[in-house]
Amino acid sequence: MTIQGDRLGEEAIDRSRFAEAVAHLSAGPNRFAGLFPSLRASGGVELRAVVATPGGYTSVVTELPPGDLAYPSVSVGLPAASWYEREIHDRYGIQPKGHPRLDPLVLPLLPEDPHPALGDWHSQVSPDPRALDAHASGEGLFTIPYGPVRSGVFEAVEYLVETFGEDIPRLRSRMYHKHRGIDWRFEDLTPDDGVLLAERVEGTASVAHAIAYCRGLEQLTGTEVPYEAEVVRLVHAELERVANHLDSMIRHSDGSYQAVANARLAVHKERLLRLRATLCGSRFGRNVVVPGGVSGPMRRPPDEARSELLRIAGGVSDDARAMMSTPSFLDRLRGAGVLPADLVAAHGAVGPVARGSGLGEDVRHARPYGAYPSSGFRPTPPHDQGDALARQQVRLAEMDESFRLAADGLAILAGCNEREWRRGPGAAADGTAISSVESPQGELLYVVEADGGRLARVKPRCAAFHNFALFPAAFRGDILTDFVFIEASFGLSIAGVAG
Amino acid sequence: MNAALLVAALGVWAAGACVDLAAGPSRFPARAATFGAGFAGAALVAALGVRTTLGSARTLHLGSSLGTGEAILRLDPLAGLFLTVAGMLGCAISACLVSWCRPDGRVTSRETGAGFLLLLAAVVVVLLAGDAYTFLFGWESLTGAFYVLSSVARRNGAQVRAGWATLVLGKVSGAALLIGFLLLAGAAHSFAFTTWSTVQGSTLHAAWWLLIVGFGVKVGLLPFQGWLPLGYPAAQGPVRAAMAGLAVNVGFYGLWRFLGVLGRPPVTLVVTVLVAGGLTALVGITFAAVQPRLPRLVAYSSVENAGIILVAYGVALAGSATGRPRLVAIGLLAATLQVLAHAFAKSVLFAGSAFFESGEGTDHLDDLVGVGYRYRWSAACFSLGCLTLGGLPPTIGFVSEWFVLEALMQEYRLHDLALRVGITVGGALVALTAGVAALCFIRVIGLSILRRPAPRPRPAAGAGVWGAGGLAILALPTLGLAAVAPLVIRYLADGLDPVVSGRLVDAARKSPWVLQPVYRSFSILSPSWMYVTLPIAVIAVAAAVLAASRGRVLRMRRVPAWRSASGGVSGPDHYTSFGYANILRHVLGNVLGSSREVVVVGSSDSERLHEASVEVRTSVVEPVETYLYRPIEAFVLWAGRQAQRIQSGRLDAYVAYMFLALVVLIAVVTARP
Amino acid sequence: MPWAARGLREGIVTTRYPRRPDDHGPDFVAAVTVADQPVEGASQGIAGLCPTGAISEGPPVAVDRGRCILCGHCVDARPEVFAYESSLGTARLHRRLLVTPPAHGDDDLEVRVAAELAARVRRFGRSLHIRHVDAGSDGSEEWEIAALTGPIYDVHRLGIFFTASPRHADVLLVTGAGAAGMAEPLQRTYHAMPEPRVVVAVGTDAISGGLVHPTYVTRGGVAGLLPVDVWVPGSPPSPFSILHGLLLAMGRLGGTRPLRARGRR
Repeated sequence: MTIQGDRLGEEAIDRSRFAEAVAHLSAGPNRFAGLFPSLRASGGVELRAVVATPGGYTSVVTELPPGDLAYPSVSVGLPAASWYEREIHDRYGIQPKGHPRLDPLVLPLLPEDPHPALGDWHSQVSPDPRALDAHASGEGLFTIPYGPVRSGVFEAVEYLVETFGEDIPRLRSRMYHKHRGIDWRFEDLTPDDGVLLAERVEGTASVAHAIAYCRGLEQLTGTEVPYEAEVVRLVHAELERVANHLDSMIRHSDGSYQAVANARLAVHKERLLRLRATLCGSRFGRNVVVPGGVSGPMRRPPDEARSELLRIAGGVSDDARAMMSTPSFLDRLRGAGVLPADLVAAHGAVGPVARGSGLGEDVRHARPYGAYPSSGFRPTPPHDQGDALARQQVRLAEMDESFRLAADGLAILAGCNEREWRRGPGAAADGTAISSVESPQGELLYVVEADGGRLARVKPRCAAFHNFALFPAAFRGDILTDFVFIEASFGLSIAGVAG
Repeated sequence: MNAALLVAALGVWAAGACVDLAAGPSRFPARAATFGAGFAGAALVAALGVRTTLGSARTLHLGSSLGTGEAILRLDPLAGLFLTVAGMLGCAISACLVSWCRPDGRVTSRETGAGFLLLLAAVVVVLLAGDAYTFLFGWESLTGAFYVLSSVARRNGAQVRAGWATLVLGKVSGAALLIGFLLLAGAAHSFAFTTWSTVQGSTLHAAWWLLIVGFGVKVGLLPFQGWLPLGYPAAQGPVRAAMAGLAVNVGFYGLWRFLGVLGRPPVTLVVTVLVAGGLTALVGITFAAVQPRLPRLVAYSSVENAGIILVAYGVALAGSATGRPRLVAIGLLAATLQVLAHAFAKSVLFAGSAFFESGEGTDHLDDLVGVGYRYRWSAACFSLGCLTLGGLPPTIGFVSEWFVLEALMQEYRLHDLALRVGITVGGALVALTAGVAALCFIRVIGLSILRRPAPRPRPAAGAGVWGAGGLAILALPTLGLAAVAPLVIRYLADGLDPVVSGRLVDAARKSPWVLQPVYRSFSILSPSWMYVTLPIAVIAVAAAVLAASRGRVLRMRRVPAWRSASGGVSGPDHYTSFGYANILRHVLGNVLGSSREVVVVGSSDSERLHEASVEVRTSVVEPVETYLYRPIEAFVLWAGRQAQRIQSGRLDAYVAYMFLALVVLIAVVTARP
Repeated sequence: MPWAARGLREGIVTTRYPRRPDDHGPDFVAAVTVADQPVEGASQGIAGLCPTGAISEGPPVAVDRGRCILCGHCVDARPEVFAYESSLGTARLHRRLLVTPPAHGDDDLEVRVAAELAARVRRFGRSLHIRHVDAGSDGSEEWEIAALTGPIYDVHRLGIFFTASPRHADVLLVTGAGAAGMAEPLQRTYHAMPEPRVVVAVGTDAISGGLVHPTYVTRGGVAGLLPVDVWVPGSPPSPFSILHGLLLAMGRLGGTRPLRARGRR
């Protein structure tokens, strides 16, 4: 089989016509997939809008001259671009003119503060906790700050729930607490060290990040990954997907006080993580994917691992079926957090969140990569109710398919004798590449820029970056007690969004 | 002696009213003198009440000195009982008014003082009336006083409307009573109440219905409750207490009085009273619980209490309709205890809140945050009133609510299915009401009175000596009456004797300090004993904790309340009083007709990002007002417009009308056989 | 009711750790150890193998587990020097004790800090309440901590509970590289806790920042923000390692004896 690279179309355009061009390009079957700045030595910024097309990705590029980092905002016609523009405003001081609400996203800086990515980062900035203005007004309105330290073991994020009791007319989120400046940290790493950092962008999706990063790098170096290595990557990626979907199920069952279901799903998840540990030594599939292939063979005989996997799959699907016929569970999910399809489309949401509203392609199907074209992968049938239940049904169907793909992959590996796990780079990495994979929460995009064999700039774009922006829209008609289900059904990874 | 007390009281009040009308409210001594006269007169009335309750009945014939025919004043124990309560409340509220009116600008019109004294006098006249004329004279005077007091501050359309609602429904009440009295007088050929016991048949039934409507309007029985939440808040400061805690009792007095006078009520009426009472209680407390403004909340709580009292009264009516005096005794005792609890608690709520509302310049619950720390005495007395109305031990509210529920549990003694269903429905509604009431008053105390305020300078005006004393007279009985509940019941037995045998009421005392619901071996309660055991239990637990921790509980490290480690938010970040009540808007949405609307006030671009500023508009719909009052109002206005057409202003038209009327009159006269 | 039967289906799945070793322990790579010191002169450039600078060339060659992210680059390149260790007990009571092989005087240090901690936590008795705070983790540590409450690790059997409010907590479990934005929330949480309180830094990121440090918003672990008592290395540490750290904090492992028994070289 052949490894299919993502073709990167590119068009340079004047900044005054940038917004118009991006909106034009994102129409029809295309989908806006990201807006990424890149610092130039001159002090100017190159702004790249990436659009997903049915066959791959294309991008529009514009130059912002030094000292005048402004351009007409893209978000006015394209809500999906809003968070990107807020982020580049925070970090580079770029002014998207006409942006409707340029609230801080990752760094709530005051105008006089230096912008970290431009200035001297050693003068460690302290994010200012000064509050955002309340968005809702009226009788009895108040704001519940929920997080960054809240009941349970969660990543740090603060939800500002504006409410007058029960109803949630407005909800905003602040995730700057967790901002780690991770894309800055990529700069100047060696490609081999870069994959270690990619694994830590979003720790629960380490494999997906490592694959996306390596695929970007492999495009630049023209490396062909051995088939067996692609199969190993597939197995680890699918096991990671199952673990994430199980985690989402656990949070649902916890929220609805299904104690037995919660315990049983936790046992399944732990067994799965242990299976992953026996395959590679890491419960999160780390140190497996490396540029050019994988680090080595599986540590456990694949057929043995396969039978263990099938045992886990049997238990999971049995319990999942039982949950989906437990009325007290379904009642909490049905009709909670409804996302209409047009909203999902406008925000370019991806993954199970979009598929629960009948939209959203699967990268494994739309732009197949690695071992997927030959795996017989079948995308899950869409659900169009758009509620938390639909998103959960999508996840359950995906879990079944992932179990099958992983088991097939292990069977292939068990039958392989001739093994080559890693190929060296064809050339020193140089230039810009865009790569994507289907992470557990949806399309994961990497923009990799390399210069003379070292990383110049790497920007991971997690699925949650698009989905999170849609989160406040899911609360129409829902009340405080629905929060836990809506949050769990979004499967948000804060580490990935905050960067 | 009694007559002297009465004349003295009325004289003092008349003098006070003259001072007020002559000197006006601009200077404090004149204001104080007016309310001081109220205090003195009320003290005399209280003395008169005690003497009358414990003495024997006396009748004073005044002849036609009032110019309304043969006027009779009757001083019997029932009147005495209500006079006692009215006297005590009058003293306390007058005292509060003396303190409250001290800062200039609170009392701005002459009508407040004179209206207040007119109200006191009208109440006494109604309570002592022995005939229909005198009764209606007092009743209409009271309606006039209410109108004056509720339209003192005619600052905007809503307040003018409040005054009119009070007047119109007061007139409905007066009209119902007038027609009822005329029916009875026509059948008995006398205007003296004592002669009406002989009336029977359909006249009696019609009269019963009319009287229930007439008195029901005054106390706020559904569907005539509409004026309370408008009229009470429109009055000023502690005057509201006089309307809601004091004057409302004449409505209950009327019900009690005619239960003793008239023959058996019709069963349909009894069932109606039970069910309507239960609905009144539920609607009242539900709307109270979601009110954002304190006076309206308290006013709706009056509606709720009227409902509970009427359900208990319904049990007494059921006893009367089926000839079971014990049932009458337990029903009436429960209702009277609830009247007592409500009278003191409601007065202290309105009188106490007057001080912190006026001091803070707002009556909005979300703005009255932390008044418990700045107006300690007013707020403490206010909170006791809340506990009483919430029916929590060890207050008299708990005792009265216990008796109401015990009375409702006697349902199994009846055989009439309609009555049994009526009592069961009433009981279920009262039980639901009790739950919502707890939520309602927790909201007031927890989210307004006791919530920690932002530091603010301490206001200069507290309750003052007179105010503090007045509030004490109102608040301490909520505890004291419970502590000596057996003695109270002994007194009530005397007072209720004209309606139902005092011996039966007194059967509620099982032994000197233990109570039972009149019937033997049903259940018992000893509120007095509670006053011994509760403190002992508290002390014992505290001592045990202290000992177990070896004194460590006293060494506390104080840190700020845990708030999710957030850096803070702009604007309010605590549960608001309004927000706390919002769950009721959801759960009881069908009763409240609640709706919410989120209006985008930001740009449409930002709304596409779900980040536009929005304004939330919430509303509740009063079913009675929407579906009954509004159509009637619309019809009356329409009829008025139709009537205007015939008033063309042309002289020949009027001459024609007169001619037509004359022809009709002659036709009627000549057509008589 | 069907769920009740379902719950009984598999019998007891809970680990016996710490009473006896767990069978699955060897599956997890918990640390890198120096198996054999290289011959004289062969340690040249050995520090450059590590992306986080955890290796010091010495002599003797040492690995700072507080910096090690378990990438295995050193084990792959110099298997004669470095080896994986799958011991369950990698938590330590002092930052210096994370360096392997131990230096002279480490044993005394260990005895001393253990005694100090034991004196402070005597009041905890047999139960421990935990508050977790994420100070910039990658999200995987949260999974591992959450796993502790599941049936397999079931820390409730050991008297360990997670609380919603730090005001009920004895132990603060901190993950992440110390993002600047979490500095203040972390302080607020810490000061909301009653005395005595114990801080456990969970994961290499929390100890030193790991690979995520340095950037313009990370503080190189949480030690600069809070006084850390127990250090749990790993990227992420397995639930066993975290549990080991908690047991250390409680003084449940009986002084220093079990530390020696875990086969440190």
